Amino acid sequence: MFDYDISRAADLKSDAQQIGVGLRRRDVALLKTLVEQYQYRLVRYFIYLLGRRDGVDDLVQETWLRVLERGSSYDGRSRFEPWLFTIARNLAIDQMRKRQTSSLDSNDEGDWETGAKSPKSDDPSPFALAARTEDAERLAHSLETLDSVYREALVLRFQEDLSLQEISTVVGAPVSTVSSRIYRGLATLRSQLEGANHEA
Amino acid sequence: MKPDSHEVFTRMIDESLAVGMPIPEEKSLRQHLQSCVPCQEYLNANTRVIAGLGGLSFEVDPSLQAKVVESISQRAQQIQAAPFNSRRLMLICVLALALTVVGSFLDLQFGNLIASLLDIRSIHVRQGLFALWIIPSICLFLLFPMLPVLSPANRNERTL
Repeated sequence: MFDYDISRAADLKSDAQQIGVGLRRRDVALLKTLVEQYQYRLVRYFIYLLGRRDGVDDLVQETWLRVLERGSSYDGRSRFEPWLFTIARNLAIDQMRKRQTSSLDSNDEGDWETGAKSPKSDDPSPFALAARTEDAERLAHSLETLDSVYREALVLRFQEDLSLQEISTVVGAPVSTVSSRIYRGLATLRSQLEGANHEA
Repeated sequence: MKPDSHEVFTRMIDESLAVGMPIPEEKSLRQHLQSCVPCQEYLNANTRVIAGLGGLSFEVDPSLQAKVVESISQRAQQIQAAPFNSRRLMLICVLALALTVVGSFLDLQFGNLIASLLDIRSIHVRQGLFALWIIPSICLFLLFPMLPVLSPANRNERTL
């Protein structure tokens, strides 16, 4: 908890500048490297954001195409990750709006804002399928029911290691809101994990 | 110990975890944690949740990366091959607008002079300038911005 790594700041800045130059040139070799480096992280972010697995691969592809097309808007002065996740988030929201518009009659997609899953769905959630440890299995169920805004804050903070300011940029909310989402998300998962322990 | 001191320190723990870097009260928090079991448990429970999140490993389609790279390469080629990039289009539009303005200016200011020099009627000069200069340049100005929309490169659909 208390070990903080600040020594890599200079390297990260240099990396960001190189990425910025490469994206402005539409350097495909650089993009291949970035795809390799960030593919899994994008998939994970989309799953946390949407609470489902289907459609994620299309979103990943769309994200990289948008990175190629709009690479000139990345100035390389800040880290690449927040810029990438902002693009990813915007695409996910666009897709969800389209889905909600096209499925107004059936209304079987659940609610993205709350992350609520359709009650009809019997398929195991992507979180349940991804659980590799005992604690992760216990958390998987909680993550399913947790609001997507909290899941998103948790993955960006604890999996992607983004700062509060960077998360604030990605989600377009004030830092205080982001902090609050992290506290609440952690509190919910903690209480459910503790509850599961007591039951066991 | 005051009854609300745990609350103060648990809030510090929350803040420290959320911020991810030393908070101003770090020293007092460390000291408190050495002697306070409930706060230690609170910290442990939180770090367990964070570690639990790390225990989720999502499967990624092994062919996804190759598909993404292929689609990026194709798109990059399309962009490079696109005859109408926005800067070039803008330049053509500005040029067409300038031609329209110059043509209209010539017509208005020097129409009669040109007619007398060429020994023809001024209405014929005017008609000639309209037909051969002003109208074509207006058409260029109006139609060029639509070219990207009509370009076949933009009609290609992406597949995955």
